[in-house]
Amino acid sequence: MDRDVSNFSLLVLIVFVMIPFTISYFYQLGLKKDILWSSIRGALQLFLIGLILTYLFNLEPMIGIPIMLSVMIIIATFHARKKGKELPNVFLTILSGLIVIEIFVLALWLGFDMVSFTPEEIIPMSGMVIGNSMVAMGLSLERMKSEFSTNQGKIIAALSLGATPKQASHLSVRRTLNAALIPNIDQLKTIGLVQLPGMMTGLILGGVEPIVAIKYQLVISISIFSTVSVSAIIVSLVMYRFFYNENMQIVDLDERQNKNG
Amino acid sequence: MQKPLFELKGVYKRILKNINLEIYKGDRVMLFGPSGSGKSTLLHLFNRLHDPEKGNIYYNGDSIDNYDIPKLRKNIGLVLQQPHLFPETVEDNLKYGPSLFEEWEQEWVNQLLDYVNLPKSYLKKSVDELSGGEKQRVSLARTLANKPEVLLLDEPTSALDDQNIERIEEVLMRLITTKDLTVIMVTHNIEQAKRLGTKGIFLQNGGVREEGLLPQMLDRPKTEELKKFTTNI
Repeated sequence: MDRDVSNFSLLVLIVFVMIPFTISYFYQLGLKKDILWSSIRGALQLFLIGLILTYLFNLEPMIGIPIMLSVMIIIATFHARKKGKELPNVFLTILSGLIVIEIFVLALWLGFDMVSFTPEEIIPMSGMVIGNSMVAMGLSLERMKSEFSTNQGKIIAALSLGATPKQASHLSVRRTLNAALIPNIDQLKTIGLVQLPGMMTGLILGGVEPIVAIKYQLVISISIFSTVSVSAIIVSLVMYRFFYNENMQIVDLDERQNKNG
Repeated sequence: MQKPLFELKGVYKRILKNINLEIYKGDRVMLFGPSGSGKSTLLHLFNRLHDPEKGNIYYNGDSIDNYDIPKLRKNIGLVLQQPHLFPETVEDNLKYGPSLFEEWEQEWVNQLLDYVNLPKSYLKKSVDELSGGEKQRVSLARTLANKPEVLLLDEPTSALDDQNIERIEEVLMRLITTKDLTVIMVTHNIEQAKRLGTKGIFLQNGGVREEGLLPQMLDRPKTEELKKFTTNI
């Protein structure tokens, strides 16, 4: 693409930021600080990542790609674990989950020649997979905590009838998975109809033929669809165990967190 | 001499302090006392929904820790204060316990509805369509489906109106007299304790203040605390 967005045009973006800022001011939403901070932070992050990407793209792929993927996975893990910090081993579960997902996706992409092993392709596409998996894991953790809290009576009833934690959690795990998968299914159903997906838009703006852009979009959309499902399953099937102790009793998460300091 | 079915020695758990108790097969023990006295906590210790922080619990002479937990909970059934029924139908709830142990029989499920005075047509009914009293009867039947040796009841009538309390009591009385059940029940209702129980345990501030035979224990309390409790209720 020959065109560039001028620095002046970028400055004009402030107008877009001022719209939610003004809404927050008039309706006293208390979000002014958040709006300003997230806009500035987002812009700085993007410029910083632009510089890092330029540097990494110039490195050997075998060096640049693993460095960037590791950084993305670690940041995503720190972010997703916030949603379930009362639970033990949450960091390790998310970290290993994201590593497994990334290896699985890379194996498919490279094994079937969908993507070439270059930083320009692997890093942005992996970023999308890791980012979406991070969101799915965080949402699954949140949903699972709320399911266990809402259904605690039913879980105790099931345990008291002789159910194992796995059996007693069946309903909550099923609902968590449902909640994680349904938005994804809906998104895939309306893909391209309601909005053009980000990657495809980027490629078309970059001058790529729409049909080629669609092929890439399909690779990434189906990959995200699958990895989000795997993320939700990993979180649900591993984390439910931490709601119980070794004697098949429900644990008080706050009490445990206080004990662990 | 008969051996106790349950023996609690120096048990501490949350508010409970140094609980020593013996419960024998066939006893109908009523646990009563003010709110926060530790009644529900004590009840949950019998089927290991909680474990003591200190002390020991023996079941049939053996430490409760030596039993397989799901099988122990099957034998020592608990009916909760709120029914907490599972989706979808009454039948799903009645099948739940037996199917965990692969002991599911249709004939037995039909009988269970008889025990709790509900018509067979209720099997396919959604639990959302049941009244409060019906839900509690299904909850009772769900626990009975496991054919427990001991029935733990955690204030099963506290959320019900007088008519439904009477119905549940009728069902309980019939079960107690026709089945060889040991019952441990938490109740706030002194008259209910007299009607259903053979033994009473009065808890206050986490300790056993008085125990004895019913109804004598409630008609002639020995301690000032129990006297106050019976007159204030």
